[in-house]
Amino acid sequence: MIAYTLLAGLLFGLYFSLVAVGLNLVFGVMRLINLAHGDFLMLGAFLAYGLYTAAGVNPVYAIPAEIVAFVLAGIALYYAVVPRLLSSRDPEMLSFILLFGLSQIIEALAVIAFGNDQRAIPATVFGARPVTVFGQTFPAAWVVSGVVSAAAILAVYLYLYRSRLGYATRAVMASRDEAASTGINVHRVSAIALGVGLALAAVAGAFSPFMLGSIEPDMGIRITTVSFAVIVIGSLGNPLGTVLGGLVYGLGLMLMETYFPSWADMLPYVLLILILLIRPSGLLGQRVRLA
Amino acid sequence: MSPSALLVVERLSKHFGAFQALDGLSLKLASGEILGLVGPNGSGKTTAINVISGVYTADAGTIHFDGQPVGGLPIHRRAHLGINRTFQVPKPFKGLTVSENLEIAAVYSGAGRDEIGKCLEFLELAPLAGREAASLNSAQQKRLDLARALIARPRLLLVDELAAGLNPAELQRMAQTLMTIASSGVALLVVEHLLSFLRELTSRVVVMDAGREIFEGPLDVAARDPQVIDIFLGG
Amino acid sequence: MDYWAKGCGLPRGGWYSVGVVALFIVLPFVYGNHDLLFNMMMYLALAQGINVLFGFTGYLPFGYVGFFGSGAYGASLAVLLLHLPPVLALLVGAVIAVLLALLLAPLLRLSGAYFAIASLAASEVVYYIVSNPHLESLTQGPYGISLARAYDADASYAAMVVVLALAFGVVVYLRNSHLGLALQAIREEPVSAEFAGVNVVRERTCAWLLSAALAGLAGGTYAWHVSVFYPKSVFDLNISVFAIVFTLFGGVATLLGPIVGTLLLYGLYNWIGISQPEYFQLVFGIVIVMLVLFLPNGLASLLRRVNVHVP
Repeated sequence: MIAYTLLAGLLFGLYFSLVAVGLNLVFGVMRLINLAHGDFLMLGAFLAYGLYTAAGVNPVYAIPAEIVAFVLAGIALYYAVVPRLLSSRDPEMLSFILLFGLSQIIEALAVIAFGNDQRAIPATVFGARPVTVFGQTFPAAWVVSGVVSAAAILAVYLYLYRSRLGYATRAVMASRDEAASTGINVHRVSAIALGVGLALAAVAGAFSPFMLGSIEPDMGIRITTVSFAVIVIGSLGNPLGTVLGGLVYGLGLMLMETYFPSWADMLPYVLLILILLIRPSGLLGQRVRLA
Repeated sequence: MSPSALLVVERLSKHFGAFQALDGLSLKLASGEILGLVGPNGSGKTTAINVISGVYTADAGTIHFDGQPVGGLPIHRRAHLGINRTFQVPKPFKGLTVSENLEIAAVYSGAGRDEIGKCLEFLELAPLAGREAASLNSAQQKRLDLARALIARPRLLLVDELAAGLNPAELQRMAQTLMTIASSGVALLVVEHLLSFLRELTSRVVVMDAGREIFEGPLDVAARDPQVIDIFLGG
Repeated sequence: MDYWAKGCGLPRGGWYSVGVVALFIVLPFVYGNHDLLFNMMMYLALAQGINVLFGFTGYLPFGYVGFFGSGAYGASLAVLLLHLPPVLALLVGAVIAVLLALLLAPLLRLSGAYFAIASLAASEVVYYIVSNPHLESLTQGPYGISLARAYDADASYAAMVVVLALAFGVVVYLRNSHLGLALQAIREEPVSAEFAGVNVVRERTCAWLLSAALAGLAGGTYAWHVSVFYPKSVFDLNISVFAIVFTLFGGVATLLGPIVGTLLLYGLYNWIGISQPEYFQLVFGIVIVMLVLFLPNGLASLLRRVNVHVP
């Protein structure tokens, strides 16, 4: 029982790292909390669902389409609003409210386009046979989601630490002004980071039917809050710290669902409050407190 | 002068992580006196002001104000007792008008309408009284910052880099303003990079390096002190 | 200081409040949809509660609905378990909301968006506790509350009129008092406010508790008025969101801003929102985005631009 719980926690932990890592990347680069993060994940889920129902596309093969569509959407969104916001008097609060408005728009458009019904992609898309890992048996969809998540996070690592663009991105994370003064095109780097952040959410969305339950237009705000909890537990502004947050959250969730199932829904919120109050720097770094 | 000193700071220490910002700093200051605090960047001048005013709590050491220990008091309690300050980058209440900026402090100090009016006149802010603070230029915001501190009726005023960014005429008037404030009995602790500005105010300075006092005495003597020359040129 | 305008007997903004309250006393006699009037008053009161906190101190409470819901449950359980008369039960609801606010006061140490999200998380925690099936014997868990025996449409309407008047009273007081000015100073620059002599922790906690008390009263009165409700409906995030956006739209830290914002947007909601909520949500989202980009200080700033004083 405990081995099963821990392994399932690991798979879900990897998946929640993927769910949240884009939010953390965007926060790290732009110091803004993308309140529409969960809504982009929802759109990614609907894209995967659409490709599956229209052409029987396996969610794994939907990943390239997700990446192209959402990187472009992120870049467009950046140039449409962010430079204007950054020059205002209170960019942090205003961008927070603006992104909340955007989240409302996306949710409304999703209801208008897809209706309020709950959608699902059958888990048998990955084959009907369960998969055995270290002697424990799991639905194939969980294992595929865990592997895709691990691969996506490895890709984030390569992007940030093994590419010229990633070097510039980390420079912007460290200091926007200093990066600009060394000749880095801060807007281009940030726009791409926003695109990558949304694409990561969308890829997570493609696997949400198996890991988070059915796809609904109003799932966004809940996912944004859970993602925020995950990145706060790990470390705000440090994308790879998200993995630690995801694993802590995934394991915690599985333990709660095994031993205290009726209280499991509270977990992300309780963790979020406790971490913000007791160790606001997360398990790895960064100050957020005023006084 | 120790029994009559208004401010007595003894062996103050403060570190941030591995960085020792203050390392056993001691100071004394009497009413009406102006003391300059100079030193290279990172020598602990602003930290000293932050600790004396209550923005930070010291790791060790004591602060006595008018014979009373104040090191553990929150900022507003120190402000009520008569410790106040200006900021290197002025921090006015940007969305409020100039006169509202002063009215807030007046509530707690008991300053009346005419005192606010006089203070606005004194700092050449009277024509701007109804303007939003955000619309002021940086020299005006510095004067507003000073006015906000004065309306709190301080007995000790900590002045952090007031001269930076002022033009020569403004510098001249600011020096006059600070002299007037001191002559009314307020003790001034002035952190300043611009030594020519400081020279007009006072002859007594404390030179700091690495969180410690390395020299105390007249500014002109400091300029010939080998240790002082060394840290300013070598550091 | 002439905070209290001379010659009219009431402080600035007082007459507008009296007018709006009087309107809601008279309207039921000429307009049949009392539930709409009731909800309108409720959102007017909640918007002013948001205004007390967000407008004056700058803390954006996404989880404001947590106080509304705990007021609803506090009042209902006082009726069901303690058999108190509804009016006393409303006060119990307000006290519960204030106690919750005291418990959550450490959240005020968080800044900006962190506070907003943490307060949202706190209201979710309260919701999950109240609706947990294990607490069925106390809260009825997810099955909701029925106050059928205490139901009284007219008395609960009258109670909401009083809550509305209280909410206006608090904002008029803040608009005209040292406390209100001190709170705005905290919003603008907390450290300078301390040096001006303001006890920042005490004053912002005071605003937080006042704001929670208003939501608790509104929640309890709502529970009495509908008399049957589920935990989901009194902890609905949309209640926070509506009140926040109504306030932002009209203009924060004024008395009239939230009134105008609520009348226009809640009016719009009733026009298109009830039959087609998604189209309302779309308009609502667009309004928020446009506000931030073009009018971050709400409609009131339009008037200020032409030098009209907004009470």
